[in-house]
Amino acid sequence: MLHSKTFNKKTRGGRIQKLVREVYLRDDIYCGASFCKSCEDKSKARLTAAASTILILDTNVVLNQIDLLENPAVEDVVLLSVVLQEVKNKNSAVYGRIRNLIDNPARRFVVFSNEFHRDTYVQTMAGESPNDRNDRAIRVASRWYQSHLGDAVKVLLITNDRENKRKATEEGVSAETIESYVKSLGQPALLDLLVQPASEDVIMEEVEDMRPSKRKVVYPEHKPMSEITSGLTKGIYHQGKIRVNRYNPFEAYVGSESIGDEIVIYGRGNMNRAFDGDVVAVELLPQDQWHEEKSLSIVDEEDDEEDVHLVPGSADDAPRTTDPVSSSTSDTSPVSSRPSGCVVGIIKRNWHSYCGSLEPMPMPAGSGSLVNALFVSKDRRIPKIRIQTRQLENLLDKRIIVAVDSWDRQSRYPSGHYVRSIGEIGDRDTETELVLIENDIDARPFSTQVLACLPPLPWSVSSEDLNKSNRIDLRHLHVFSVDPPGCKDIDDALHCTMLPTGNFEVGVHIADVTNFVHPGTPLDDEATQRGTSVYLVERRIDMLPKPLTEDICSLRADVERLAFSVIWEMTPEAEIISTKYTKSVIKSCAALSYVEAQARMDDSRLVDPVTKDLRNMNALAKIMRQRRIQRGALTLASAEVKFQIDTETHDPLDIGMYQIREANQMVEEFMLAANVSVAEKILKEFPACSLLRRHPTPTKEMLEPLLRTAAAVGLTLDFSSSKALADSLDRAVSDDPYFNKLIRIMATRCMTQAVYFCSGELSPPEFLHYGLAAPLYTHFTSPIRRYADVIVHRLLAASIGIYKLPTIFRDRPQLTSIADNLNYRHRNAQMASRGSVELHTLIYFRNRPTDTEARIVKMRSNGFIVFVPKFGIEGPVYLAPRGDKGGGEWFLDDQQQRIKKMDGSISYGILQAVKIHLEVVEPQPNRPKLQLTLV
Amino acid sequence: MVGLSLGEKHFIQGGIDQNIRSDGRKRDTYRPISVETGVIPQANGSARIRIGATEVIASVKAELGRPDALQPDQGKVAIFVDCSPVAEPMFEGRGGEELSTELSVVLQHCLLGGKSGAGAGIDLSSLIVAEGKICWDLYIDGLVISSDGNLLDALGAAIKAALSNTGIPRVQVAAGALGDEQPEVDISDEEFLQFDTSGVPVIVTLTKVGRHYIVDATSEEESQMSSAVSVSINRKGHICGLSKRGSAGLDPSVISDMISVARHISEQLINKLDSEISAAEAGEDEM
Amino acid sequence: MEFVNPEGLRLDGRRPMEMRQLRAEIGAVAKADGSAVFEMGNTKVIAAVYGPREVQNRSQQINDQALVRCEYSMANFSTGDRRRKPKGDRRSTEISLVIRQTMEACILTHLMPRSQIDIYVQVLQADGGTRSACINAATLALADAGIPMRDLVTSCSAGYLNSTPLLDLNYVEDSAGGPDVTVGILPKLDKVTLLQMDAKLPIDIFENVMQLAAEGCKAIANYIREVLLENTKQLEYRRGL
Repeated sequence: MLHSKTFNKKTRGGRIQKLVREVYLRDDIYCGASFCKSCEDKSKARLTAAASTILILDTNVVLNQIDLLENPAVEDVVLLSVVLQEVKNKNSAVYGRIRNLIDNPARRFVVFSNEFHRDTYVQTMAGESPNDRNDRAIRVASRWYQSHLGDAVKVLLITNDRENKRKATEEGVSAETIESYVKSLGQPALLDLLVQPASEDVIMEEVEDMRPSKRKVVYPEHKPMSEITSGLTKGIYHQGKIRVNRYNPFEAYVGSESIGDEIVIYGRGNMNRAFDGDVVAVELLPQDQWHEEKSLSIVDEEDDEEDVHLVPGSADDAPRTTDPVSSSTSDTSPVSSRPSGCVVGIIKRNWHSYCGSLEPMPMPAGSGSLVNALFVSKDRRIPKIRIQTRQLENLLDKRIIVAVDSWDRQSRYPSGHYVRSIGEIGDRDTETELVLIENDIDARPFSTQVLACLPPLPWSVSSEDLNKSNRIDLRHLHVFSVDPPGCKDIDDALHCTMLPTGNFEVGVHIADVTNFVHPGTPLDDEATQRGTSVYLVERRIDMLPKPLTEDICSLRADVERLAFSVIWEMTPEAEIISTKYTKSVIKSCAALSYVEAQARMDDSRLVDPVTKDLRNMNALAKIMRQRRIQRGALTLASAEVKFQIDTETHDPLDIGMYQIREANQMVEEFMLAANVSVAEKILKEFPACSLLRRHPTPTKEMLEPLLRTAAAVGLTLDFSSSKALADSLDRAVSDDPYFNKLIRIMATRCMTQAVYFCSGELSPPEFLHYGLAAPLYTHFTSPIRRYADVIVHRLLAASIGIYKLPTIFRDRPQLTSIADNLNYRHRNAQMASRGSVELHTLIYFRNRPTDTEARIVKMRSNGFIVFVPKFGIEGPVYLAPRGDKGGGEWFLDDQQQRIKKMDGSISYGILQAVKIHLEVVEPQPNRPKLQLTLV
Repeated sequence: MVGLSLGEKHFIQGGIDQNIRSDGRKRDTYRPISVETGVIPQANGSARIRIGATEVIASVKAELGRPDALQPDQGKVAIFVDCSPVAEPMFEGRGGEELSTELSVVLQHCLLGGKSGAGAGIDLSSLIVAEGKICWDLYIDGLVISSDGNLLDALGAAIKAALSNTGIPRVQVAAGALGDEQPEVDISDEEFLQFDTSGVPVIVTLTKVGRHYIVDATSEEESQMSSAVSVSINRKGHICGLSKRGSAGLDPSVISDMISVARHISEQLINKLDSEISAAEAGEDEM
Repeated sequence: MEFVNPEGLRLDGRRPMEMRQLRAEIGAVAKADGSAVFEMGNTKVIAAVYGPREVQNRSQQINDQALVRCEYSMANFSTGDRRRKPKGDRRSTEISLVIRQTMEACILTHLMPRSQIDIYVQVLQADGGTRSACINAATLALADAGIPMRDLVTSCSAGYLNSTPLLDLNYVEDSAGGPDVTVGILPKLDKVTLLQMDAKLPIDIFENVMQLAAEGCKAIANYIREVLLENTKQLEYRRGL
């Protein structure tokens, strides 16, 4: 039966189009109840006879109460297609979650396509708004369900819309609000998950404010969307994503293309309820209100603190901090001010769940009553969120997850609701889980479907493997691997044989992961999602299941394993004559640690073949490294910190800087060379769809803090090219042994991150990897722990003709989104690692107050930031007492980067050595933090 | 187009003289008219008219546009006619262009009035949205599917029917538009502006064959005509447009005579059309 | 954009292997030798056949065959946006050529030498699949005109979206950017006379999609046969047989 629906749509060009669409009504849509007598197809039926009530949900209930729905107490729910469609249009995140619930075979959620069912199709009546029509469709479908299923079960329509509820009751459909339904279930814990509607009915009480003198804050109204779009086209409003300053949550930046610069937003009122990551519309303030750049004090509003944190490691992962570029001082020079503005509307909200804990507050009289509490998120850029809970005493010392619902104009804080608890504060496992949740890392064990994709153990190379994929037999070669001690997932191995001509044959063999991980399998899908393995201090969260990473793919010693090899023929001067790419079978004869390898090379008594090969490789590596440095590769200081962990308690025993030996550099050199060779090969074969890695050249603005610091100590740095910068860095020496390292660390901070990208998206000059001074680069050598390498393996296999590329590679936007996901996962993995290290640092120092030396790396108006070389950590040292903004008796000379006491007696300059005291203090209960004070 | 033998020509002329035409009609009778509205759902309004074997489809589409600078308070209407080769093989390629242009121009004269827009059958000021900035542009398209004479009448009737079927969505203009720029418009799906077509005229064509004039000539009869006068008259009996075709000259008294006849006939035609249109619309609503 | 939702329904409620509603009417234009109106969902096409008749342009006359000419035009109001030029643009010329070639393959032209058969196709409403609807309408019109043919020609389109082969795409699905395969077959003889495709499609999937379109053509052929049978019965009845 055919119907048609007509509607008018406004096109982008401003024209109005009338659209006519057909609607075919069907008879073969089934109700999904397994006990139903009339419906024929029971394959998708999930509603069981045990259910006493079948729920039909309204759109707003699905949108607002998704957390409640995910709770297993809610079952036997019918989702109408009209509701699903509306949810999809309004909020795709919630749509994704409800789809997961539907697909999950353990939950009893059923979809009923009421829009296409003959009996429940509803045509728009004249003068009826689309919302009214949808509500009517929901009521008609509910009524149909009740009559269809008869008296076996009760069908209940859940809606919070009073109009809808009233009409439903009139038409004979039982309807209830979500609150009354949850109450009737008799599980008080569920009530906490309920989201209070942001309506005028509920009176919001202010949380007992610490400073009652503060006025009630009222935010300016957000402008309606139509006004915003017209304002955008006219140019009075600007659109951009808002980034909140991690160190000062009341300062934010909106990057706007229309201005070309970032707009600064100061102050709560101007931020107007925007969250970090929202897409907002900003109006510029009149020029006289533009804030001058002040070198910012370490802001101390409302007990927000700066934490001690780690210094970033290599050039490959330097995060771009949101520190503003401080230019002029507050008093003297005229303003080089940046445009300031205020937020007038939010175009797209970036709300999700946040983890953190409740702010300590006095217990109310009588437990079990509903109280308002403030939730402080771990991520300092998020404002405090007000939630209501009945279990206050239970939650005060826990880490919990809270989701945001709304932010009313009249309310100082946004409103949210409690989702779940993680564990006790300070407990190592809870804190680790917090770090994982914050960084969106999935640490759940692999599902049975994933594990089913693995070959059965014990596994060994079979003759079938030998004959496939043009594998060559390299088991006769002396292949060895060099890795950190205790490493079980060995993904790379090397060999170096001297040829009769005097040249060397050098091979890099990488674990052949793509032989076991095939596209389209659950194993591959899971790995795509995870993107990379995450290395925490005490454990590792694998991208692939353990049997693969530690046994089947791992190139362990004395077993035959499958590998993907890059074999070069090179002269003793490390000039590459030819390159061969092939799959192979190898048998590693030694799995050495860096220490062992170094020892063997150094011990001149040893002359066995492996040691001789090691020495040859080392010599070649040195030449290659030198050449790279000539070309301008940067060697930035890595302040990587290593923990010695007690095997029983898993508590850190000692903390120290990572030592780099020659052996490390040797392996690194060949891995880089392999990556470069593979990049060249895949780009040649697939110029439009290769996955490469690039590092953009830093701009002048990014390098400014470094330059200023260098100038303050009388050093000029030339950054016209990476080589010039490298040379300048090499020349930056002084008597201070750490000086050079510090300068390098500061240089690292100015770099952007290296990212993966699809070669079809950018032009060849943009493929440059600045840090390595390589025109092309990719990741090939670690497929066990990085998914990007798996993709590159597939590309390389296709380029040598032994593999057919799956269709996903043809789809450039999809490839780009995969690259973006990998970048996202990589960043998160690093932040998680650092979070874990910071956590362990705190645990280490908990009972060990220490005095040690430090260097000043950044000046502030009321103190400075120091770097502690022994432990590789960085943190603030306050000169003026806390809460005293502006320094008091201390004065900052920004040009010279010195802070001086008013009477001129003491002064501290940048990069100066100072002695500090490290101690863990607990200014608030359950809130330990590491404090640095001047000795 | 139509090849007639001498005998046939005599037959036709003789019949007209005797007030019995080839198909049995009197000189002032129309062939049976059938109207169907809403045949093109994608257009804002449409109608399909069959007068005997002549079949035309008219559709009305509305788009937003800028009003003419000289008439900022009026919308714009444009009429186009296309002769499909389905009707006549002669209309293939550019063969039908001449006829299409002629029909379009005559229709424009009859329905839209003069250059200044005065005297239009359609009320143009009801098409304005924001004065001077946004107005509705109506595009009326006629398509000739089968041609057996009397195309003008059929097209006029079809346009009238299509206009009565037209629903233009109501539009709200966003406030605060500055100066010259296009303000934002918001369409509401619910309300429609229905046209008032009581003022839309119909066209009656009188064809002079021999000494008499007939109404609603078939193509055979048209091949015998000496001249034809098309008069567009509205419900009140006012003449909205006049056009004479054909090579023969006409005496002025004959013309005024033809006009009064046309007026008389138009009343019946209008009534018939209105009843057919409302029957068609009712039928459409039922479906 | 989801063209096939997880419940297996498309945007208009059809399942992937279902066609739109077909409707055909014979004899719409009285003046033509043969005419038909064919509707596939919202796509509505009218076809008229004039012939066999004397060749208008002597230079084009073929001595042992009939000359088949075809013109495809779209009405101004047929698409969502109003078209300015009903005919003469490149797409119309191409489709005219395609229809001509397809019909020429099935008309027994050698039975009517030195004559001309004109097929005119006018699109009244376009909602995807216009090519197929035109060919089906032309077949009906030729049958109505009594022109001898080897077999009926029916045509149908199919596509591949969201990893599912879809039969009979409408305008929204067509403009999604996925592949669009149009197939025209002679159902009784089971021979393909028209095959067109745009966009990229791997070969194994292509075979599936083409198979699907061919099945659609056969379904249309059944319908057309029914319509013709019904029409003939009506003619018999009117003639008093």
